[in-house]
Amino acid sequence: MRNHWSTAAMVVALCVGAHAPAWAHHSFAAEFDVNKPVTLMGTVTKLAWTNPHAHIYMDVKDASGKAVPWDLELGSPNALIRRGWSGRTLKAGDVITVSGYLAKDGSHLANARSVTLSDGRTVFAGSSLDAGSAQ
Amino acid sequence: MYRVHDRLIRHCAVVSILALCAAVPASAQSSGSRGTLTGTVLDPVGKPAGKVTVQAQSADGQTTQRATTETTGRYVIGGLPFGVYNVTVTVPGLKAFERKGVSVQAASTSLDIRLEEGSQLSTLGEDPLGIAADRARRAPPSGPTPRTADGKPDFSGVWWAPTVVDPGKPEWLPDAQQVAARRQANNRKDSPQVRCLPSAVLRRGPLVQFVQSKEVLIEITDDDSPGFHQIYLARSHPKEQDPLWYGDSVARWDGDTLVVDRNNFLDEVWLDQDAHPHSDKLHVIERYRRRDLGHMDVEITVDDPGVLARPWTFTRASELAPKEEIREFICNENNSDLPHLIDK
Repeated sequence: MRNHWSTAAMVVALCVGAHAPAWAHHSFAAEFDVNKPVTLMGTVTKLAWTNPHAHIYMDVKDASGKAVPWDLELGSPNALIRRGWSGRTLKAGDVITVSGYLAKDGSHLANARSVTLSDGRTVFAGSSLDAGSAQ
Repeated sequence: MYRVHDRLIRHCAVVSILALCAAVPASAQSSGSRGTLTGTVLDPVGKPAGKVTVQAQSADGQTTQRATTETTGRYVIGGLPFGVYNVTVTVPGLKAFERKGVSVQAASTSLDIRLEEGSQLSTLGEDPLGIAADRARRAPPSGPTPRTADGKPDFSGVWWAPTVVDPGKPEWLPDAQQVAARRQANNRKDSPQVRCLPSAVLRRGPLVQFVQSKEVLIEITDDDSPGFHQIYLARSHPKEQDPLWYGDSVARWDGDTLVVDRNNFLDEVWLDQDAHPHSDKLHVIERYRRRDLGHMDVEITVDDPGVLARPWTFTRASELAPKEEIREFICNENNSDLPHLIDK
C-alpha cells in the first residue's frame, strides 16, 4: 500500500435483487446504497466502541489534498467482540483502507465491509464462509 | 421473528450475474456419459469464497452432488451423469445463488459464480463472515435437562437465537399485509428499533440469556432495548394494566413444559421481523421445553383476529451457548443513524 492518502471510489453496477428482510438495528437499504461501493484510504482519528454501532472516524484527503472527515459504520460491539475485536483494535493515527458502501444521503458516511492496515494486514475480518453453507 | 440468517436463506432472491456457463471439451477425464462441473466462487468484493458448498441437482431431482470450494474459491463436482442441473450456493447473509438449466453434456463444464451482497446485512460484524463465525462457534453440550431444586426444568443459560423449525402457515388479513408491505417498502425506516425501542414481539437474539427463579424468568437480549423481558411464574395477568412493549407475560407449568401467556401489547410495537402489525386482540402462547442440556424447543401460537384469519403456530429451536456472555447494549449511546435513513 502506498504511503499517501487518497480517495478512490469504485462504483460497480450490481444487480439489485429483492430485499431480504433481515434485520439488524436498522435496514441496510435504508442507509447505504449497495450500488455505490467505495474504497477510502485515510488516517483513523477515533474508533468509537459504541452501540448500536461501532464507528471508525477517519480523515481522507480529497482531490485538492484537503483532509475530509469520514464516518465508517461497523456492526455492534456485541457482534464484533465475538469476532475477537475490541475497542483497541484500531487507534488514532492508523492508516487504513476501508471498503464499504456509501450512504444514500450523500454525506461522508459509509459502512465498513473490510478494513486493511497500511502494512497489508486485514483487521475486522473473518476467515471464510465455511460455516455458512446450509446443507 | 425469524433469526436473521434463516430469514435470509428463506427469502434470498435468485441471482444470476457474472455466471459463465460454457461447455468445454476435455480429454483425459471423460468417462462415457458423465462429466465434471467446475469453476470459481467469488464473494461480493471479488475475493475467493473459501469453503462454501456448491450444489448441483439434476432437473429431475434424482441426482444431487456437492463440493466445497478450496481456499482459491475453485470447486469441482465430478462424476455427474450428463443432464441438466440446477446449481445453487447458499451463504447466510448473501443473496442465494441459483442457476437453472446448466447443461452438463461434455467431460468438463465451467460455471463461475460471483456472489452478491444481501440487501440488509453487509456491515462488519453483521456480515456473512460474522454469521458464519457465529455458526462455527455453536457446539451445544450434551447432558440431561438441568433442573431446579423443586424439580422443574431450568432454562437458565445463554442461548443462540432460535432457528425456525416449522414456519407454519400464517394467514394474514389484507390490511395487515398492506401495512407490512408498506413498512418493508420504506426500508423499515419507521421501525421502533431504529429509535432504540423494542424491535418486535416475536424477535429473539442473536443471543438470549434466561435467568430463572421460582417466581420469574428473565430474558436478556444482546441487541434490543431495553434488553430484558420478565415472565412471571407466580401470578396471573392483572385485570387492568396499561399496555406494554413486550406485553404482560405470565407462565405456568404443564409437566416439563413452561407455557408462557402474553397479552396487553402496546400499539407501537411491531409483531415480527417481517414488519407485520398487531391489533389489541393479540395473544401469544409460547411453550418452552428444554429437551436436554444443550437444546431448547419452543412452539409459538399467535392468536390475533385483527391481523390473522386464524391462529398461527410455528416452532423454533435454540442451542445453548455456554461460552458466550452478553455485554450491555445501550442503544442510545451513539444512535447516529436516524438522520441518514431514507425510506425509498
